[in-house]
Amino acid sequence: MTSWHSLGDKTIWVTGGAGYLGSAITEELDRQQAVTLCLDLPGKAEALVRQKNLTHTIPLALDVNDADGLPAAIDRLVAEHGVPDGVVHLTYASSAGKRLEELSKDDFQKTFDQALPSTFVFCRALAERMKARGSGSIVLFSSMYGVVAPDPRVYLPPLTPNPIDYGASKAAILQMSRYFAVHYGPAGVRFNCITPGPFPNPGVQQSQPAFVQALAGKTALQRIGHNREIVGPALFLLTDSASFVTGHNLVVDGGWTAW
Amino acid sequence: MPDLSSFSLAGKVVVQCGGTGLLGRALVSGLAAAGATLVVASRNRAALAALADAEQAAGRTVLIEETDIGSEDSLRGLRDRLLIAHGRIDGLVFNAVSRPMRAFGDDLSAWESSMATNATGFFATARVFGDAMAARGSGSIVNIASMQGMIGPNFWLYEGTSMTAAPDYFFHKGGMINFTRYLAAHYGPRGVRANVVSPGGIFNPEKPQAPAFLERYGKTTLLGRMAEAREIGGAVVFLLSDASTYVTGANLPVDGGYTAK
Repeated sequence: MTSWHSLGDKTIWVTGGAGYLGSAITEELDRQQAVTLCLDLPGKAEALVRQKNLTHTIPLALDVNDADGLPAAIDRLVAEHGVPDGVVHLTYASSAGKRLEELSKDDFQKTFDQALPSTFVFCRALAERMKARGSGSIVLFSSMYGVVAPDPRVYLPPLTPNPIDYGASKAAILQMSRYFAVHYGPAGVRFNCITPGPFPNPGVQQSQPAFVQALAGKTALQRIGHNREIVGPALFLLTDSASFVTGHNLVVDGGWTAW
Repeated sequence: MPDLSSFSLAGKVVVQCGGTGLLGRALVSGLAAAGATLVVASRNRAALAALADAEQAAGRTVLIEETDIGSEDSLRGLRDRLLIAHGRIDGLVFNAVSRPMRAFGDDLSAWESSMATNATGFFATARVFGDAMAARGSGSIVNIASMQGMIGPNFWLYEGTSMTAAPDYFFHKGGMINFTRYLAAHYGPRGVRANVVSPGGIFNPEKPQAPAFLERYGKTTLLGRMAEAREIGGAVVFLLSDASTYVTGANLPVDGGYTAK
C-alpha cells in the first residue's frame, strides 16, 4: 500500500510550514521521509526543526507576500533543491483585522495586494517548472469563509466576525486554484484547494472556550478540527492517490458547509 | 490514538455494496490492499464467487455476502451476521447501482425499477449500516455517485456511437450527493462521517468505449483522458481512513477536472 502514496523520494515545499496547520503537515512529511522545504518567516522554520528534531526538513525563510522578490527567490530555491514534486501553499491568512464599518478602501486593497499577486506569481513560477517536467501537484489553502460568510451569532462581543477582506481574498485563492488546474492540466500539473473549517489554534482554544464551543456547534461533527486532521487531506492531494483529482476544492470542515 | 496521516484500513471492517462491475472490482482490490477486512455484498452469487477467487489469486482475501439491497430484511441479516462475526462495522461503501433504463422514451416501469434499487435500496442500506455505526460512535459512509449527479449530459460526446446518457442516472446520482449531506448532518453528532465520491467516466480496458467518444471525452477533461478504475480507489480509501477524520458532508469528484472548468 505504501506505493500508493509514497513520499519517500519526493521533494515537497510547504509555505507557512511552521504555523499551526503547516507544522502538522511538515512533521508528517518529515516522518514519511520526504525532502521537505519548510518555508516560513525568519527563524520560525528553524525553531520547528529544532524542537521536533526533524531530520528530512530543510528550514528556510521566505517572504511569500513579496510578489516582486518571489521569482528570484524561487530561482535560488530550485537551483539548490530542484523542482519540487509537490507544494503546499498555506498562503498567509492576510487581513487588516478591522470591523467592516472601520475598514478603509486602502486597508481592503492592502489585503488583496499582499495575498493575491504573490500567490499568482508563486504558483505560476512553480507550475512552469513542473510543466517542463510534466508532473507535479500544488495544493492551495482557502477557508470556509471563502465559501460561506461568518455567522455573526458565533462571534459574541468583544469578538467581531471574521473580516470581509479575509473571506474575499480566500474566495479568490479558491478560484485561482481552479483556473490554474485548467491551465496546467494538459501539462500533467494538478492544482487543488483545501478549504479548512474551524481550526482555532491552541491559544484560542485556551482563551476562548465559549467561542470554541460555538464553532463546534456549527459543524455536523459537533467539534472543532485539530491540526493533525489537515494532514491526511494534504497528503492525499499531493500523492498519486489523487492522480485523477484536479481543480477540486476539498472541504475539511466537519460538515460546516454541508447543512 | 488513530494515525491521522495513514491511509491504512487495517483493523477496519468495511462493507462494500456492489463489487462485481468494472469500478466495483477495482474498489475491492484497492480497499483490500489498504488492509480492510472487506465484505462485498451483492445479489450476484456467481460474480461474487469469481471475485473472491480473483482476489485470492492476487494474494488478498475478501469476504462475500449474497445480499439483496431491495430487502430491508436481507440488509439487517447481513448487519447481524457481521456484528456477530466481527463485533463492529467501521465503513460502508455504497457502490451498488441498477441501470435498467436506456433512453428517455423508455417505459415508466424501467424508471420505477431504477428507483427501487438506486433510491429506496440506497436509503435502506445507508440507514441500516449508519445506525449500526452510530451505535458504536464511529464510522464512515462513502457513497459512489458520479459527475453525472453534478452536471447535465453532454450529448455531443455520444454522437455517432451506440452510447447514451440514461435519465434516471442523473436523477438518483444527484439525489445521492445531497442525501449524503443529510447523512452527514444526521449522523455527525454520533461520530459517523458521510461523504460522496463522484467519478468521471471510467475507461473500460476489457470492452473499450467507441474511439470517437474516447477522443471527444479526453478533450473535455483537464488531464486529457478517462479515469482508470483504480484511480477512484485512492479517494475512497482516504475517506474511509483516519486520514480524513474532519471531512464530512463533502463531495469529492475524481473526474480529471471535468467539472472544474
